[in-house]
Amino acid sequence: MATEELGPLPAGRHGFSREQVAHNQRERLIAGLATAVAEHGYNAVTITHITKAAHVSRRVFYANFDGKEECFLAAFEVVADHVRELGIEAAAGESDWPHQAIAVARAVLEFFASEPDLARLCLVESTSAGPAVAARYRAAVDAAEPFLAKGREERSASDRKLPDSTEETILGALASLASRKVAAGEAERLPDLLPDFAEFILAPYLGADEAASLSREAA
Amino acid sequence: MSRDRAAVDQRRRILEATADLVAEQGFQATTIEMIVRRAKVGYATFYKSFDDKEAAFLALLDEAVEVLTGRVKEAYDREREWPDKVAAGLGALFEVIAAFPNVARACLAEASTAGPEAAQRQEAAMKQFAPLLKPGRELNPRRDQLPDTLEDTLMGGVMWVVNQRLIGGETEKLRALLPETLEFVLRPYVGEEKAAAEAGALSAG
Repeated sequence: MATEELGPLPAGRHGFSREQVAHNQRERLIAGLATAVAEHGYNAVTITHITKAAHVSRRVFYANFDGKEECFLAAFEVVADHVRELGIEAAAGESDWPHQAIAVARAVLEFFASEPDLARLCLVESTSAGPAVAARYRAAVDAAEPFLAKGREERSASDRKLPDSTEETILGALASLASRKVAAGEAERLPDLLPDFAEFILAPYLGADEAASLSREAA
Repeated sequence: MSRDRAAVDQRRRILEATADLVAEQGFQATTIEMIVRRAKVGYATFYKSFDDKEAAFLALLDEAVEVLTGRVKEAYDREREWPDKVAAGLGALFEVIAAFPNVARACLAEASTAGPEAAQRQEAAMKQFAPLLKPGRELNPRRDQLPDTLEDTLMGGVMWVVNQRLIGGETEKLRALLPETLEFVLRPYVGEEKAAAEAGALSAG
């Protein structure tokens, strides 16, 4: 995932097949986009910025992507897949839903804290990069709804049904909280938000008291 | 029509055209040519009022924010009890948005794509709602433990669901969403039971 220190791709007899080189170039361009967007912002970034950061030619860029939006979407997809994997892994280490939810929140916050450029790309730039990217961002956040909705099973059968929009609203609230932190240049401090995240996620399902005590435990 | 009236009318048409176009296709894809054509004004008229499309958009945003925050605060101030104030304010917010879906979509969902200045002004506008929620802390016995970020986070959640409906062109669903959103906003302050009761009163009334 490191986006820095990309040396030039060795030319000629490197023993890679054409497909391997192409795959490698695509990955370089994706990493190059993250670096370039972190420096210039999505709207100001140019194909030249991206190809320079990736150490590949414009021809290679256009062989892989139609334009910067497509490249951005590809980068977003790579990160979203990775974050999803991290979440699944984190949840697998816990036996009950409340602790799984906290573990997932921790894993996501820690990942973005360790990759501030990617945090900016996914949580800030994606909301300003135009309709297609914004739609993809929203879909990625919404994708966590089924996992969150498992919290409903924690409520007793006699409790009233939570409103349908509960998960959507919680996720939107957390996305905006995280993106404000990143926009303020404090991506490294995202894990500080874990207790707030935990309480916000758990309270509707477990009640305020239990949510508060679990979130203190998570801190 | 007097000259002044005509100028005001032209400005209004430019802002409406900007809202429609940005709502339909986003800020980046919108051009001044499209704006003047839709507004039925000449380029000279456009440039008399605005330096570029960002200036037109910022003017739209400022006016929209003024109307929106004005209506919300008016409704909030009319009520006595804090939960009723929030219900009235949120109701006004949803009402204005449903009445002007294109302006709302342009100024709420698309503003972040219109450059840093627009993003900053929109963020500042949203911050005006936090002080309206803060008095609710007094109603919570655990008030000392509520996170500092609570009000901004709640507003983030509200705007998220609103924007989803605006982007999806489902403005008619906002009305049904209002009681749920009220419950979401009130719950951290007054607990689920009271929040649900307020929401229930809202959907009945």
